[in-house]
Amino acid sequence: MELFKFKSIQTNIAAASACLILLTAILLGVISYQLSASSVRETAQDYTAELIRQVNANIQTYITSMENISMLALSNEDVRELVSEEGNNGTSSEELAREQRISASFHSIMASRKDIASINVIGYNGRFVSDREHVELNPSIRLAEQPWYTSAQEASGRIVVSSSHVQHMFKDEYDWVVSLSRELWSKDQTEPRGVLLVDLNFSVINDTLNNIDLSKRGYVFIVDESGNIVYHPQQQLIYSNLKSEKIDQVLAKGSGSFTTEEGKTSRIYTIQDTGFGWKIVGVSYVNELIGNKREMQLSMVAAGVFCLIVGLLLAVFISRNLSRPIKQLQEHMKKVEKGIFNIRVPIGNPREIASLARTFNLMVVKIEELMSQVVREQEIKRKSELTALQAQINPHFLYNTLDSIIWMAEGKKTDEVVLMTSALARLFRSSISRGQELVPIRTEIEHVANYLTIQKIRYKDKLDFHIDVDPDIYGYRTLKVLLQPLLENAIYHGIKNRIGTGTIQVTGGKRDGYIWLEVSDNGVGMEAEALRTILEPRRNDRESKGVGVVNVHERIQLYFGKDYGLTYRSVPDEGTTVTVRIAAIEGDELAGGVGA
Amino acid sequence: MSEYRRKSASIAITAVLIVIAVVGIYKWAASQRTEKPVDIIVTVKAKSSAIDFWKVLITGVEDAANEFGANVTVIGPPSETEIDIQMEQLEQAIRQKPDAIVMAATDYNRLVPVAQQIVKAGIKLITVDSRINSDDALSFIATDNIAAGEKAGEEMAKLLPESASSKIAIMSYVYGTSSQLEREKGVRQWLDGHSHIAVASTLYSEGRLEKAYELTKELLAKDPGIEGIVGLNEPSTVGAGRAIEELGLSGKVKLVGFDSSVDEVKLIESGVLQATIVQKPYNMGYLSVKTAIEAVRGKKVPKLIDTESVIINKDNMYTEQNQKLLFPFVGE
Repeated sequence: MELFKFKSIQTNIAAASACLILLTAILLGVISYQLSASSVRETAQDYTAELIRQVNANIQTYITSMENISMLALSNEDVRELVSEEGNNGTSSEELAREQRISASFHSIMASRKDIASINVIGYNGRFVSDREHVELNPSIRLAEQPWYTSAQEASGRIVVSSSHVQHMFKDEYDWVVSLSRELWSKDQTEPRGVLLVDLNFSVINDTLNNIDLSKRGYVFIVDESGNIVYHPQQQLIYSNLKSEKIDQVLAKGSGSFTTEEGKTSRIYTIQDTGFGWKIVGVSYVNELIGNKREMQLSMVAAGVFCLIVGLLLAVFISRNLSRPIKQLQEHMKKVEKGIFNIRVPIGNPREIASLARTFNLMVVKIEELMSQVVREQEIKRKSELTALQAQINPHFLYNTLDSIIWMAEGKKTDEVVLMTSALARLFRSSISRGQELVPIRTEIEHVANYLTIQKIRYKDKLDFHIDVDPDIYGYRTLKVLLQPLLENAIYHGIKNRIGTGTIQVTGGKRDGYIWLEVSDNGVGMEAEALRTILEPRRNDRESKGVGVVNVHERIQLYFGKDYGLTYRSVPDEGTTVTVRIAAIEGDELAGGVGA
Repeated sequence: MSEYRRKSASIAITAVLIVIAVVGIYKWAASQRTEKPVDIIVTVKAKSSAIDFWKVLITGVEDAANEFGANVTVIGPPSETEIDIQMEQLEQAIRQKPDAIVMAATDYNRLVPVAQQIVKAGIKLITVDSRINSDDALSFIATDNIAAGEKAGEEMAKLLPESASSKIAIMSYVYGTSSQLEREKGVRQWLDGHSHIAVASTLYSEGRLEKAYELTKELLAKDPGIEGIVGLNEPSTVGAGRAIEELGLSGKVKLVGFDSSVDEVKLIESGVLQATIVQKPYNMGYLSVKTAIEAVRGKKVPKLIDTESVIINKDNMYTEQNQKLLFPFVGE
């Protein structure tokens, strides 16, 4: 398993396709080899069977013609007369004439056929007539002892076909023949009278069989019903046990075929029964049938190797194509990892990877955007904080306050000087707040009180104020110097322009999970147009009204989100109310302090 | 890292491919080599002669050549005594560079130098029927001639009365061929060991029927006490048989022969020839080519292959098996 754990896609694909191709090639090779081998085998078997049928037909023709000749001889009146004679030994002229007639008729049958070696009649009365005119028998044999003679007697009238044998009944003749013999009966069919012998030249069968080209090593042989070999191309090897034929199996089987189990030299026997006792057997070698076995195997292997090479090249090509964009993507990702965002992955093929690249590019753009947004927001935050600080130590306010203190000191209003100076001191102290952005609301309210105290001394009867903040929210946190710009705005743009005493009301509390603080005045109020634009940024006009207000609004939204901020309500000549909405953030220790 | 793995994987795949290709080519080449037909030259002792023995042997040679897919050329002198011609033919055969030469030697000693040349030329040498007086041949395929001679001696002993010591003669053929020497040795060996029969003389017919006939006539005229003759090959047997028949001594002078022919068959049927020892030339021819092919293909071949012999007499000559030996050809 370890072997197949390739790390790269390319190797994976290549290995997988190599395995697949190899498997397919082997499977296909084996199957097609089996199929073609069996089809070759079937064809060869069909061919053998057909050939054997033809051989059978040929041989059958010979045997049938021999049978016909025997029938002809049997029905010959002269032959019947000849074997029926008693006592005489062929000396009378009538008998001689008859013999000559028989011989002549046999001879005329012979004349038309080369395959017949001889036609003979042997009477039990000692008469012998042949197709030959001057016949000389082999003196050293007795006809009555010959196998064809005795078996004809045993068969009593039925036709007997011998195996192939050497006919040595004639002097100086030793021809291979097949003998057909049958017993002759008297006219009234009551008693046997002699034997008729028709010899067929075995050479006609021999030649037929010799000319058969079954295959290079295949051959045809014939056995008779008792297992004697009628014909075999290598008869002598069989007799010497150098070769063996499955004669028992052949005899046991009628027609059909069987295959021997001899390993490399297994043979297929195709058997055809002739109907008169002989069996014609075609033998072919299994491994020769699939003669070009090796060639087939080789071409299969070659095809397999070719497929494998082509397939591998293809696999390498495809996987390279596939992994190249992935690798490219990976390299780009590495760059992004290092913080380089100004890159774009080229979008190519395939589709899946292209969409991946597209998404990646989008992601990179988004990240870049977010990054720059964060940078911008930080910048704004700093700027607004700075602005808040500027608001806190507004030089006009400081100058005016100090001027007021001078005037009061000159007027010897010592109590008021003390009050104002201490308020101013507390005002600055509360805004130091250890550099923290968020401060408890309590601190902010103190700051507001100090600021309003100073302003009230300055404006005397013109200004009055009330602070009514729910002490429960003292522990919550707020941005520092949040309310001062709003108060400033209320004084300078609301109260100052009013006739008579203006009152500023600072209230606060908690509602629905958020903190609200409200600054309301009963000043001149705002026109609808001014009210609509009061929270819109106006960068170029720093000193104009609402700059501080806008800054407050932006600060709140930067810290707490878009859900929070300022809301203005105003009715001209009646007053303005600004509501601050901030998130309810509890400061741990201070919250506890308030509770106590 | 992945680059390295990819490289090693592709190297492994390439290696596998190369191995497959090499194995394939090797197998292909190997198959090509075994497919190539073997060239064999067979020399018999008498090619143009009408002796059935060599014709049958050549049939065996041809059948084996067909069966095993070998290219076989058969050469040989016109008759068995022409040793020089066979030597010349063999020298020419060496120049044709066959894979193997199958040789039936016309002389036991004189063909030894040619045999050495054959082996030196890298040609596999197989001897058949008659061997040579050296160890150059890889295999010798023949009748065990000593055993065959013993069989002839035994047959002769059966034919002669056991009591009296009888005299016989041996009608041999060409002096110096191994088969002749061994057969005679076999006959003498058996008779000496098992009977009182004495071998009076050995005559040499030179493998010619007429010579055997004349020598037998001379012998029987000179020494009427000869009761039997053993003919060591076909013409010697037939020649002796003719002489016996002509002298009216059929059955009186017993004759045991070698080999077979129509003439011998007639002699057996007429009672002149009591028995003949028949070899199996078809098997010799077949096996010699088969062995030669095996030798060329690098298989180990047996040093000696006995093709056996059969005793034929009047009673068994027409059995299924023996008639094929006696009458090997159909339609002649």
